[in-house]
Amino acid sequence: MNLWKCYVPAVVCFCLLMLLGPAWPVEKKSASGLVLDTAVMCETVEGIAPVNRAVVFSLDIGEVYCFTSFTDIHRETVVYHKWYRCDQLSTSRRLTLKPPRWSTVSKLQFREADKGPWRVEIVDKSGQILKTIRFSIVD
Amino acid sequence: MGGFVSFFSGIGWLDIVDILLNSYILFRLYVLFRGTKTFRVLVGIAFLWFLQRAAFALGLVLFSWAIQGITAAGALIVIIVFRNEIRSVFQATDLKSIFWGIPGKVYGTPVEIIVESMFELARKRIGALLVIPGNDDLDEYLNNGIDWQGVVSKEMLLSIFFPDNPVHDGATVIKGGRVEKVGVILPLSERTDLPSYLGTRHRAALGLSERTDALVLLASEERGEVVAAKDRGLEVFYHPRGLEETLNIHLGLSTKEEQELLKQRRDLITAGVLSFSFVFITWYSITRGSDTLVALEVPIEYIKSDPEVEIVESSTNTVRLHVSGSSFLIKSIRPGQVRVRVNISETTGRKQVDIPLDAVSLPPGVLLKKVEPSEVTVFLTKSTVKKIPVQAHWIGKLPDHLIMTESAVTPQAIKVAGKSHLLKDLDTVYTEKIPLDNIRRSGRISARVILDSPALSVASGENRVTVEYRVQERDN
Repeated sequence: MNLWKCYVPAVVCFCLLMLLGPAWPVEKKSASGLVLDTAVMCETVEGIAPVNRAVVFSLDIGEVYCFTSFTDIHRETVVYHKWYRCDQLSTSRRLTLKPPRWSTVSKLQFREADKGPWRVEIVDKSGQILKTIRFSIVD
Repeated sequence: MGGFVSFFSGIGWLDIVDILLNSYILFRLYVLFRGTKTFRVLVGIAFLWFLQRAAFALGLVLFSWAIQGITAAGALIVIIVFRNEIRSVFQATDLKSIFWGIPGKVYGTPVEIIVESMFELARKRIGALLVIPGNDDLDEYLNNGIDWQGVVSKEMLLSIFFPDNPVHDGATVIKGGRVEKVGVILPLSERTDLPSYLGTRHRAALGLSERTDALVLLASEERGEVVAAKDRGLEVFYHPRGLEETLNIHLGLSTKEEQELLKQRRDLITAGVLSFSFVFITWYSITRGSDTLVALEVPIEYIKSDPEVEIVESSTNTVRLHVSGSSFLIKSIRPGQVRVRVNISETTGRKQVDIPLDAVSLPPGVLLKKVEPSEVTVFLTKSTVKKIPVQAHWIGKLPDHLIMTESAVTPQAIKVAGKSHLLKDLDTVYTEKIPLDNIRRSGRISARVILDSPALSVASGENRVTVEYRVQERDN
C-alpha cells in the first residue's frame, strides 16, 4: 500500500517532467561543457549588454555586433565567430573565454558592398557549431 | 641456335591454339571437298594467289595485278559455277561429320550392298541374276541388255528385279560401283548332268561361269536361296558372310582395300601436314613479320557500377597507346578493336585513376608498349538530397523609427536535390528578395526559395516558405 502511495506520485511527476521538459529553454552545451547562454546580433554593446537586438541592419549604422555570453566555463578556452556573407566566409574572429562565465563580442564594420544576407556561426574549439545567427544588411 | 630457341619461346599457347584451329579447319575443308571439282579449282586458285604474292614480291606489279584480278574472279566463279556441288557437300553431311570423322571413299564394287540386296531378294522370293565380271571380256557372251549406268544401291537393285519391272527377267551387270547393264540375256549351260530342279536362271548363271571367270549371283524364286556360280560350279549361301567373302575373293578386295586404305591414310597425313605448314607460314608472316611501332589516340571508356555516379570533369578524354606488331596487323586495326576501359569506384569527389595495362584491349598479335598518361584525374559526383536552412533575403530600407527584432522562416529548412559537388558547400538557401520599405508592423509574408544553380531543385516540390517577422519602435 505504501508502495503505491510512493510509486504513483513518482510516476506522475516523471511524466510531467518529460512532457514539460522540452518547453523549458535549452541552452546549447558544447563538447567541453561550455554553455552558450546568449547569442544575438545588435547595433551596439553597452557595458556587457547588447543594445538594439535586430535581424536587419541599415548601412547607415555602419557596424554590427555579434554578442555572445557563456556560462559553465571550467577553464580558459576559445570560441570563434565566423561571419558569412551569402554563404561565403567573410571573416573569422578568435575570442577567449574565461571561467566561470564570460561575454564576448565581435564586430563587423560594413560597406556598401556588404549588403545582403549574413550569418554568424558560433563555433567552439573543437569545431562544433553552437549556434547560427542570421541577419541582413540593407540600405 | 639462339634465334631458333627465342623464336619458339615467343610462341604462346594462344598462338598454338590459333594455328591448330586454323590448320584443322583447312584440313576439314580438304576432307569434305576432296575428289570434287570444286577442290581442284580451289587448289588452282590457291596456286594463283601464291603466284600473285611472289610476283608482287619480285616487283612484277602489272603481272601481280592481273593475277590478283583473275584470282578474285576465279573465286567468284567457283561459288557460282560449283554452287550445287558446294551445297551438296554441306547438305549430304550432318553437322558432326562436317567437324569430325573421315568419310570412307568407295573405290570398288560395293560388296555389302550387293550381299544385302541378294539376301533381301531371296527372302522375298524375287528372282535375280547379277553378273560381276572378272578379268575376261564378257561382251561376246552378253546379249541384248540395256545400258543403265546407275550407282549401285540396295533400293535400285530391288527395283530392277521387281516382278513388274520390264527388265527384271534378264541379268544385271555390275562393274565397279555402277550398274552397267540390265535385262541382259546370258548363254545357258550345255551340261546335261544338272539336277532337274535347277531352272533357267541357274542354267544361265552356270552358262556364263563355264565360259568366263565372271561371278554370277542368283536369287532363287522357288527355293529362296542365294546361289553363286563360279568356275563351272554352284554354291548355295545361307549366311551373308560367306557370300561377302566369295565376292571379296573374286574382286581381289582384301589386298586392294588395304592398298586403298594405305593410300587414303597417306593422303590424309599429307593433307594434314600441308594444312599445318600453310597455316603456320601464314600465321608467321602475319604476326611475326617486321615490327611496326605506332601511337594510337584512343578515347577512354569509364565503367562505373553505380549509374548515379556522374563524371563532371576529366583531366583527359583520350590516351595515347604505343603499340607494336607486324605491319599487316597494325594496318588492319579498326577503331572498335582498340578500347581503353577504366573502372571507377563509387566514391565521389576528385580522384586519380590508374590506367592499368589490362584496361587496354587490343586485337590479337598487337602488343602494348606504353600508355600515356598512365593515370587520369576525374571528378565524380552523385545525385543526392540535402536538407538546407532557408534565410530571408531582405532588401530596401526599413523606416528609421522601426527595428526588426525577429525573422523566422517556416519551414526552417528545405530538402534540395542535386549533384553532390554542388550541394557540398551549400549551407544556406535564400528566399527571393523581400522589400522592407512598406513594412510598418509585424506580420508574415510568403516568399519563393531561389536556388542558384539550375541543376538544383527543391526535393519536396514546394518551393515557397513563410517568413514571419516582428518589428518594433526603436528605443532611442
